[in-house]
Amino acid sequence: MTTAKNPARKRYIARFIPTMAVYVAAIFTVSWVFNRYEPTGPIAWGLALLPALPLLAIIAIMGVYLSEEGDEFIRKILVESMLWGVGLTLAIMTVWGFLEIYAGAPKLPSFWAFPIFCFGMGLAQPFIKRRYR
Amino acid sequence: MKNRLKILRAERDWSQADLADRLEVSRQTINALETGKYDPSLPLAFRIARLFGQPIESIFDDGQA
Repeated sequence: MTTAKNPARKRYIARFIPTMAVYVAAIFTVSWVFNRYEPTGPIAWGLALLPALPLLAIIAIMGVYLSEEGDEFIRKILVESMLWGVGLTLAIMTVWGFLEIYAGAPKLPSFWAFPIFCFGMGLAQPFIKRRYR
Repeated sequence: MKNRLKILRAERDWSQADLADRLEVSRQTINALETGKYDPSLPLAFRIARLFGQPIESIFDDGQA
């Protein structure tokens, strides 16, 4: 994954960066529109979905990278780190969900699932890599 | 799984990067293979065997023979 000449990795980065730029632009634009015009009804629903679209694309881009990566060991590390991301997301959502139901904990927006997944995935990678050294 | 990759590589005076290039994998993959902590898939094992001109079982040892 760290090899500069890895073409699948290069394509992944070339897709990832502009999509994240679109996401940031969408967040700012939609926030601005909601502050300024306070839309409601179907328009609000449509606008609210706009920042989600680039993130859906990011999920697809991660999947495409996984299928394009020709190095099986790198693929294995990636899949393992994704599983750690999934595990962390499920753990936090489950624990916090019960805290919300019974203990009146503040609502954790479901939007956080994806950032938590990415955080868990990123955090796990160096530890997984170290196991194979 | 134990293997003779490091010896075979040294015999040819190849670096890990050389072997990685020849197998079209990353250097960290070669490292994980050589330490025996990662077992290659069957297709990669065949590629390794062909590169060194030896049967798979003379390169990899699963400790069963």
